[in-house]
Amino acid sequence: MNTAYSQMNRARVLAAYLGDIRFELVKMIRTPAFAIPTLLFPILFFMLFGVLMGSARGNAQMSLFAFASYGVFGAIAPGLFGFGVSLAFEREQGLLVFRQAIPMPAGSYLLARMVMAMIFVAVGSLAMIALALFVAHVPLTFGQCVTVFFVNVLGVLPFCAMGLFVGSLVSGQAAPAIVNLIYIPMSFLSGLWVPMQFLPKAVQQLAPLWPAHHLVQLSLAAVDAPSTVGSTGNHIGALVGVTVLFFALAVRRLGGRGIRLFSAPRGGYVFLLRRAINVGMFWIAVGLVIAGVMGGNAPRAAGRTAATSNDAAKSVPDASGSAAHVGVAAPDKPVIADFDNGNANASYGLGFSASDDKMRGGDSSAAQQLVDGGAGKSRGALEVSGAVGTGIQYPFAGTSFLPNGTPNAEWTKQGLMDYSRKQTLRFFARGDGKDYLVMMMGPAVDTIPAMFGFTAGAEWQEVRVPLQSLGGIDLKQVKLISIGTMTPGAFRFQIDDVRVE
Amino acid sequence: MSSTPLARLEGAHKRFGKIAALDGLNLAANRGELLALLGPNGAGKSTAISLLLGLQQPDKGSAALFGEDPQSIDARRRIGVMMQEINLPAVMRPRELIGQTASYYPRPYETQAVIKRLGIEKIADRPYGKLSGGQKRQAQFAMAICGRPELLFLDEPTVGLDVQAREALWQVLRDLIHEGCSIILTTHYLEEAEALADRVAVVTHGRLVAGGTVDEIRAHVSRKSILCRSSLAMETMRAWPEVQQVTEESGRRHIVTRDAETVLRLLLAADTEVRDIEVRRAGLAEAFAEITANNPESLQ
Repeated sequence: MNTAYSQMNRARVLAAYLGDIRFELVKMIRTPAFAIPTLLFPILFFMLFGVLMGSARGNAQMSLFAFASYGVFGAIAPGLFGFGVSLAFEREQGLLVFRQAIPMPAGSYLLARMVMAMIFVAVGSLAMIALALFVAHVPLTFGQCVTVFFVNVLGVLPFCAMGLFVGSLVSGQAAPAIVNLIYIPMSFLSGLWVPMQFLPKAVQQLAPLWPAHHLVQLSLAAVDAPSTVGSTGNHIGALVGVTVLFFALAVRRLGGRGIRLFSAPRGGYVFLLRRAINVGMFWIAVGLVIAGVMGGNAPRAAGRTAATSNDAAKSVPDASGSAAHVGVAAPDKPVIADFDNGNANASYGLGFSASDDKMRGGDSSAAQQLVDGGAGKSRGALEVSGAVGTGIQYPFAGTSFLPNGTPNAEWTKQGLMDYSRKQTLRFFARGDGKDYLVMMMGPAVDTIPAMFGFTAGAEWQEVRVPLQSLGGIDLKQVKLISIGTMTPGAFRFQIDDVRVE
Repeated sequence: MSSTPLARLEGAHKRFGKIAALDGLNLAANRGELLALLGPNGAGKSTAISLLLGLQQPDKGSAALFGEDPQSIDARRRIGVMMQEINLPAVMRPRELIGQTASYYPRPYETQAVIKRLGIEKIADRPYGKLSGGQKRQAQFAMAICGRPELLFLDEPTVGLDVQAREALWQVLRDLIHEGCSIILTTHYLEEAEALADRVAVVTHGRLVAGGTVDEIRAHVSRKSILCRSSLAMETMRAWPEVQQVTEESGRRHIVTRDAETVLRLLLAADTEVRDIEVRRAGLAEAFAEITANNPESLQ
C-alpha cells in the first residue's frame, strides 16, 4: 500500500523523541508543586545539616555524609513522584490510552519521563556539588564529584521503575500519599538522614531491603566515607534488579489495563521471543534483588567492614596538594582496631603493618602476627616482634597505622586525618617488660615526631595517650601513628583494642 | 474512490465480562467519505472505534487500518484521533500540544496554519486547563487534524461547542472531505450526521442494524411527517388509526404517520380551516427511532 506516505525519516523520529523530552520538561517546570520541592529540598537539607551544622562543629565528616546522602535523597523524588503521581493522574485522565492511538514513537513517553527525571537529578546534583566545593569546602576530588554525579543521575532509574509500578496501580488521588509512604520511611530506614551506624541494629539489618540503601552506600563509597557496607557489585546488582523487576511488574499491570508502553507486534515468532526474553529478564531481576538484599548487609561484621573501607579508601586529598592542609575529620566511631577477626585491619585508613627503619637506611627489623587471647576477654591481639639495630641515629621497629592512608602510595601522597576533636588515644599492651613508645607524625618528614612512652609488662595494661597535651604535632594533620621501640635489641609486645576518643 | 476500505471490522466480537459489546460487527470506511456511526449509549460505537484504533483487540473477527494491524505505527501515522473524555496536561498550551502531536507525523501541517484554519488564535497560547469545555474540544480537534491524516476518527466532536463553533467545525470537516480526507464520526446529534455524513451506520447491541447513505436510511423508513396549523383537538387526530404520534411545537401540529395520503384526506375533511400544510419525509431522527424501535433489545 501507500507505505511511503507513512514513512518518517530518522531525523523526524529523533526530533519527535527530543520534542517529547522537552515537552515533559516544560510540563514539570510549569508544575512548581513538583519542581520546587524536588529540586530544592535536598539542597536545603544539605545546607542545613551538612554545611551549617557540619561546619559549625568543624566536622568535615558530617559534611561528607550529608553530601552523599542528600544527593541520593534528591535522586529519589524525581523518579518516585515523576512517575508515581503524574503517571497515575495521566492514566486516569485517559492520556495514556490517547497516546497509543496517535503515532507517538515507541516508548517515547517513558523515555521522555526518564530523561526528564535524570535532568532534574543532574541539575540538583550539580548545584549540590557546587555548594559542597565552594560553600561547604567539603574535601572532594574531581573524580569523586564525577562519580557521585553519575551515581545520582543513574540512581534515579530504580525509583522511576518503582514510581511506574505505583502509578500503574493506584488512582491519581491516592498516588501522592502512597508515594510519600514509600519515600519518607525508605529515606530514613536507608540511613539518608541519620548515618546507618547510629540507627538501631534491627534497622541496620533490614536496610538492604530498601533500594535507597544500596544507592547511598554507592555514593558514600564514592566519597570514601568510612563504614560503608556491602560491595559495589552487590549494590549495583540490587539496583539493576529493582529497576527491571518493578518495570516488568508495571508494564504487566498497565498491559492488563489495556495500556502498552511500547508498540508490540502480536503473534508469531518475534512475539514468542520477546516473551521469552521478558520472562528471563524478570527472573534475573528477581535473582539480583535477592542477591542484593542478602549481600547488602552481610559485611556488617567488623572484619569485612574494615576491608571494605580499606578498599574504598582511595584518595582523600593529600597533604602536598591540598590547599587546606587539614586532614579529613576523624570518624565519630572510636574503635580503630580490635584484632578480633583474624586481621590487622582498622575501621578506617590503612590497617596496622609492621614497620622498621630500613627505608631510612637502618637495619632494624619487625614482623607482626595475630595471636589468640586479647585484652580482657577479647578474641585476638596483634603481636609485634623483631630487633632494633644500631645502623642509624634514630632506629625504630614496631607497627604503624596510616589513619587516612592509601595502599601502595608514596609517603607524600598519604592522606591526613584531623584528630583535633579527639582527646585520647588508648589501647592495651603487654610484652617483654621493655620500654616502648607511641609516635605520631604529620606531613613533615624532617621533624621529630610526637612521642609518648610506656612500658609493656607481662599483664595487659591500658595505655592512654592524652592527645591534646601531647605537643610536637598538629592534630589536624596526622599522617602516621606508630607503636614500637627505639631501644636496640630484640623485642616482643602485643597490642589490642586501639581507640581514639 | 478506492475500493479498499481504509478501516474495516469483520465479524468483530468483543465481550466485557458477560456483556457482549460487539456481536459480529461488520464495518468499513471508504476513501473520501464521512461515515457516521449512530446508536444509543452502550450500543458498541466506542468499542468499535477502540478496535479500529488498536486500543483493544477483538475476541473474534478482525480489525484493520489501511489493511494493516491497527497497532502498527505506520497505520497510525495516517490517522488523526479525537477522543472523548480525555484530559490533556493542564499547564500546556494548545500551540504546544498541536506542535507535539504534529511532530509524530511524516507530513504535518504547520501548527500556525492549523490554528488559523480553525480560528483558535485567541486560545492557542492559554494553558489548556484554563479553557472552557468547547475550547478544549477545539484544541483536541486541531490535534486530530494537524498530522494531515488520511483518515480522521472523531468521537462526538461537537459536544460542548456553541452553534457558531459547531457550524465552523462542520465547514472544516466538509473542506477536509473535499481535500480527500476520510472521516469516521460518532455522534448523538442526528442533525450532525444528516448534515455531514455520506454514509450512516446504525449500531445497536453490538451489531449493524442499518447502513447506507442518509437517503437510503430514510428510504427504509415509511414514516412521514405532516406539519400544519389546525384547531382540531389533538385527541381527535390521535384517534385516527393511521396516526402514530401527534405533538405540537410553537403552534404547529406535528403528525407522524405511515400513510400520509389517508391522514391528509381525514385532516382536510375534519378541519376545513387547516392551514400551512407541509408533508415531509422522515428525517434521520425518525429513521433512527424506528430502526432502534424495531430492535427492541436495544431499548434496554
